Amino acid sequence: MVLMQVIVAGLLIGAVYALFSSGLTLVWGMMNVINFAHGEFVMLGMYVSFWAFTLLHFGVASFSLAAAVMLFILGVLVYICLIKRVMRGPMLAQILSTFGLVLVLRYSAFWAFGSTFVSLPEDILGPSLNVGGILLSAPKLVAGCVALAITIGMHLLLTRTMLGSQILAVAENRNAAMLMGIRPDRMQAIAWGLSGASAGIAGALIATFFPISATVGESLGLIAFVVVTFGGFGSVPGAMLAGLIIGLIESLSAFYFGPIYQDVFVYALFVLVLWIRPRGLMGKA
Amino acid sequence: MKIFKKLATAAALSASLLVAPQAYAAPDVKIGVTFPLSGNSGNAGKSAVAAIEVAAEIINKPHPGLESLPLGAGVGLPNLGGAKIKLVIADHQGSPSEGQAQTLRLITQEKVAGMVGAYQSAVALTATAIAERYGVPFIVGDGVAANITERGFKWTFRTTPIASDFANAYMEFLGELKKAGHPGDKVAIVFENTDYGVSVSGTIREIAKKRGVNIVADIAYSANGADVSAQVLQLKEKKPDAIIFISYTSDAILYMKTLKSLDYRPQLIIGDNSGFSDPAFIKAVGELAEGAINRSAWSIGAKDSVTWRINELFKAKTGQDMDDTSGRDMQAFFVLAEAINRAGSTKPEAIQTALQKTDLKANQLMMGYNGVKFDAKGQNVLASAYLIQLINSQYVSIWPATAAEKPLVYPFKGWK
Amino acid sequence: MMRRSGWIALALVLVLFPLSFDNPYYEQLGSLVLLAAISASAWNLIGGYAGQVSVGNAVFFGAGAYMPLLFYKLWEVSPLYGFPAGIAVSVAIAIVIGIPTFRLSGHYFSMATIAVAELIRIVVSNWDFVGASIGLTGPAVARDWTDLVFRSSIPYYYMFLTVLTVLLVMTYCIERSRFGYYLRALRSGERAARSLGVPVSRCKLYIFILSAVFTSLAGSLYAIKFGFADPASGFGILVSVNMVIVAALGGAGRLLGPLLGAVILIPLQSETNTLFGGGGTGFTYILYGGIIMLIARFEPGGLLELWERIRDRRASRRAVALKEALAASLPNSQAGR
Repeated sequence: MVLMQVIVAGLLIGAVYALFSSGLTLVWGMMNVINFAHGEFVMLGMYVSFWAFTLLHFGVASFSLAAAVMLFILGVLVYICLIKRVMRGPMLAQILSTFGLVLVLRYSAFWAFGSTFVSLPEDILGPSLNVGGILLSAPKLVAGCVALAITIGMHLLLTRTMLGSQILAVAENRNAAMLMGIRPDRMQAIAWGLSGASAGIAGALIATFFPISATVGESLGLIAFVVVTFGGFGSVPGAMLAGLIIGLIESLSAFYFGPIYQDVFVYALFVLVLWIRPRGLMGKA
Repeated sequence: MKIFKKLATAAALSASLLVAPQAYAAPDVKIGVTFPLSGNSGNAGKSAVAAIEVAAEIINKPHPGLESLPLGAGVGLPNLGGAKIKLVIADHQGSPSEGQAQTLRLITQEKVAGMVGAYQSAVALTATAIAERYGVPFIVGDGVAANITERGFKWTFRTTPIASDFANAYMEFLGELKKAGHPGDKVAIVFENTDYGVSVSGTIREIAKKRGVNIVADIAYSANGADVSAQVLQLKEKKPDAIIFISYTSDAILYMKTLKSLDYRPQLIIGDNSGFSDPAFIKAVGELAEGAINRSAWSIGAKDSVTWRINELFKAKTGQDMDDTSGRDMQAFFVLAEAINRAGSTKPEAIQTALQKTDLKANQLMMGYNGVKFDAKGQNVLASAYLIQLINSQYVSIWPATAAEKPLVYPFKGWK
Repeated sequence: MMRRSGWIALALVLVLFPLSFDNPYYEQLGSLVLLAAISASAWNLIGGYAGQVSVGNAVFFGAGAYMPLLFYKLWEVSPLYGFPAGIAVSVAIAIVIGIPTFRLSGHYFSMATIAVAELIRIVVSNWDFVGASIGLTGPAVARDWTDLVFRSSIPYYYMFLTVLTVLLVMTYCIERSRFGYYLRALRSGERAARSLGVPVSRCKLYIFILSAVFTSLAGSLYAIKFGFADPASGFGILVSVNMVIVAALGGAGRLLGPLLGAVILIPLQSETNTLFGGGGTGFTYILYGGIIMLIARFEPGGLLELWERIRDRRASRRAVALKEALAASLPNSQAGR
């Protein structure tokens, strides 16, 4: 019985991981740029939600949307001002650029919002649901469902719409896409925007159960990298699967071996994946 | 002979020139203050600095009702000609190397008479080491890791009670619980795994063992983790009589929320200060943590009492009530200032001697210690704490009986 | 690259710097600059010259920092004995990481280095033998000179300067050797280099080992100066990132780039902390991050590259002006072209 609860807890947090990693994998797969600042995007999404709730009294759906919109804009801006130029340059520049972004975003938030922790009210999404003796935390459940929705939505967007196929075309072969009349810069900007938007939604939903502060991006960012590497760069379904598995491993190892081992297992898994199967579960070869 | 006399006079004159400025102009006495003002603990650091600033104001300017405190007359340092205290504040950003660098700067460039710091034990370790090298007194107001005063240093003094004091307090409290008929044999320790959590939990474990208390769960976790469901489930399974949390703010908040979402109301929760004392904790989950016990040596006290007035000054500055950690740093500062005054000089050796001879009684302190008297290692042997409980989102002292404002509410209420 | 007089001037400044002030703070600053220059120059070997952007060099730094303190803790001997142990451990780690990860290209390699460094940091923070998260402390007061505990920063300064000089001389020799040629080739394009017969994997491994050795030395020097190491200050990701940033600011892949970066960044960090630190707004980091983004966006080759471009532009402008002046001064046979 307890085992069941442990498993459910793991899957729930895993779904949350999947939620905020899906945006990262899109950008990484699309243009081979690691956005080290992804965690900071999620953090900003959390703050947008908090302020939308506190100052404008938005409900959960509204502030999630607000976060999505604002982070979409941020993603596009980051692409246009920074990434576009840096992509063509040496690897060092690419890595440095988003590292610099991490510092600027994190400490600007720190400066603007202070160092205290803020929180959305406890029961903003209602109490835990009791399903046959298993307790399901409402916020995580919502986050999980939204993660699923985003995964499916993004997958459909990429594979069934015109926009999606344009984005994929640019990812596959930029020059060929240009010859076909597709504007690669526009597609990549949109991809960054989508990545930001999904980070924003993730932040909004995570804010319903996790304390908000400027430094939250650090740990979230690292988890996102592990999930994306494990799931395979560029594969949104892969990120979903990887998130669930990692959440499960964390929960089980924490319960049976002790929480410290949870971190060790996750990183060891990360390293192993990089060595044995760098393309992850569902990434392209 | 004549030349010798001339040289001697010249030497004496030049020496007096060096000393003279302190004699007639009563220049400010500089005290160095280093805390984390940015990064994860920025909030706590700023709060500590605010507390020390209030203390400096109390010493430098008269404030009504505070005369019973040493230096509370508000005329500066009387034995140094009424010299005012000037604070030199440095942000060490939570980094041990930065802590050392800043302390070095304060000592060598700003020429501070003494240092107060540092919040994180890791930073206190390096900062006190450099003070030791340069022979400048360093008062640690809040770091509770045992090894800070275990290095045989002669220039490090610590006013705050340390982990072993708290561990003893907890165990005694549990012992009294048992006498009152409540279960108090099975204890779980949940601690974050950096130096703070590890050192305090280690001490608690040791002392619990000595007293025959059974540790049924020993859960180390990462303070930055996103989820603590597994840990809470473990606790739920082991059913301890009391859970001792050694956590920072964000994780303390997360635990309370997770306890609620997994519907587990432990019999008793004891939070070892830190996260549980942060006003952000009370704001975020105060309603979920009704009845949580904390340790503190600070209590606001009755209206118009010395402590109440100090709290008003702090509130005027920061908008919040003073918390225990900031209070402890304020007390450390007062102790240093008092020693400098008693020494009547800003020479490091004189201050060191004065500190070693410090003997303050409980009624001369603003914190609830039994007094301040340093042993050979520099640790305050009269440091103590009482236990407080969160009732209606406010902490009130409940133990020991001599300091209790209200009786203990048992068991842990938690959320409605 | 630089004329003989430039080198002499540089050497003089470096050697005489601490003696020209009587200010312990500047002496300390100078030694910190040199320490940063050592780690960044060591990183430069693998990240700059070989083009393999490691963001996990902290693992060597940490090993180098822990060993001397561990030796002191276990056997009460001078931390000096730990220096070679730190180097040995780092070399072992370099081999163990290097061999599997050099197969991975670009981003994968960087991620792998981050992951390994984090993994080791977590393991160390939970291992009581090495002090777990509390870390290790060294002798606070010297028992004799071999404890390397000095009150003044000046002895540290000259120790660091010696190590930096050795490292830079070695880098210079590599630059000019066939090994250096191989490294430049593989940085420009691995496949092409391989097809030219460059032993790519072996080169990467050797330079990585060399980088590890000096990073480990930097860590050991840090440990004796600060007398303290814990998982965050030894193995933390910020330690790795700092090395990269310092080298990149000055110019990755250039001999004096890291030193230039250190000379600019370390005092800047200190000064902004002093200036803004009291306010505690983290403004230092915003500035820092901004600088990094600017470098990445506009001049990834670092300040030295920027300087070269300006100098070349000025030189070519001068050449054009000279040509026009000549053309104007010659008799009309040349005019009218």
